[in-house]
Amino acid sequence: MTRKVTWAPPRRARRSDLVVEEVGGETLVYDLERHRAHCLSATAAWVWRHCDGKSTAAELARRLSRKTGREVGEDVVGVALHRLARARLLDGAAPAAEGRTLASRRELLRKAALIGGLSVLSIAAPSAGQAATCITRAACEALVNGNPTCAGQPCCDVAGKFCRSQGCGQTCCCHV
Amino acid sequence: MEKLDRLGWADGLNVVAYGVRIGVRTNRPEVLERVAALLPPGSRPAAGPVSDRIVSVLVGGPDPGRNVRRFHLLYSDALMLARTHDLEEALGRLADHLQLYVAEAAPRRVFVHAGVVGWRGRAIVLPGVSYSGKSTLVAALVAAGATYYSDEYAVLDGRGRVHPFPRALQSRAHGGTRSIDPEALGGAGTDPLPVRLVAALRYSPRARWRPRRLTAGAGVLEMLAHAVPARGRPREVLATLRRVASVAPVITGGRAEAAEAAQRLLATLDGAVGVTR
Repeated sequence: MTRKVTWAPPRRARRSDLVVEEVGGETLVYDLERHRAHCLSATAAWVWRHCDGKSTAAELARRLSRKTGREVGEDVVGVALHRLARARLLDGAAPAAEGRTLASRRELLRKAALIGGLSVLSIAAPSAGQAATCITRAACEALVNGNPTCAGQPCCDVAGKFCRSQGCGQTCCCHV
Repeated sequence: MEKLDRLGWADGLNVVAYGVRIGVRTNRPEVLERVAALLPPGSRPAAGPVSDRIVSVLVGGPDPGRNVRRFHLLYSDALMLARTHDLEEALGRLADHLQLYVAEAAPRRVFVHAGVVGWRGRAIVLPGVSYSGKSTLVAALVAAGATYYSDEYAVLDGRGRVHPFPRALQSRAHGGTRSIDPEALGGAGTDPLPVRLVAALRYSPRARWRPRRLTAGAGVLEMLAHAVPARGRPREVLATLRRVASVAPVITGGRAEAAEAAQRLLATLDGAVGVTR
């Protein structure tokens, strides 16, 4: 299956408010603005580093072909650009896709795998409270009121509430 | 804060834990002994009177002069943390708050929500969310001969080593929580250990042992998702976790019985069992 796409104008890699580290050939990027962390595969990181605001997807594909010694299509670079844009690692809006023939997703993934993959993994960094021990609402409500273990632990599924004994009747409850 | 300072404080203590100085004061000296038992592990008396954070425990209860019950109040600096008639609840909040504050503010240390054991001079770190089975797995590893380091936080330094955080192990069973003193687990480790295996496993009764090895970068994200100071000190956190992931394999997957998983983990650390990539 194919679809029509057009790669947006050349994009520039975002450089501000980012912390960048490398590990085992991958690139870790922490977004200080959005508090999201990303792990870019080697190829995705190469594309990101070469987004200079002038090179088109076709030009990047040609340079990547020379680097890897394998033929890399514009569509493969386009996928990397799309993923980088979605992770907010490029300046400007996400690239549109229209006008050209794009291979199927499976075909693209196969091509990407040949050059080491184009993965861009992303997570939201936790706040301090999110990374701490908490109690589920069900577990809290299973505690008999007066039980010393029901002593104000933060509730996992109800932000800003704590497992309390007061004002909860027979059992403890998640309460502000 | 000034209003709080003007209240009559009968007693207090100043401690330092993992480089964080904490002051606790109360209007009832008899409560201070209970507070001392709730301080983060590794707390020791501080030399000076200066604190990074002052926690105030204002004990209420029946007012002899009037027919009213005063609330127990808990403040962290000027911020009210608890207002309750249940002193146990106020003290529980105090313990949780101090642990989290130390985890967030400790200089040159990165606290990751994880269980930790030592095995033959190396450490296994088990990051995970609450209810993923960390404490149970830590207890099983200790039963299998490992040394207890923590069931709550992996305290990582800039060299990628893990330090003990030997609070009492919290075992959940039959709708309640049981605290097990580290002494009952054969004592906790005292020296920092190099991390040699990170296992993000989640309990599932029907899970088969098929852990998957993550790439180093994905391994860093796995640990970052449980790092307490991730937002506050991202540079330091990323650098520390990168150091850990560059020497220790990070595996993830489900696990069923803790005893079986413990044996598998120890065998993995000893290099006897491979992990799929």
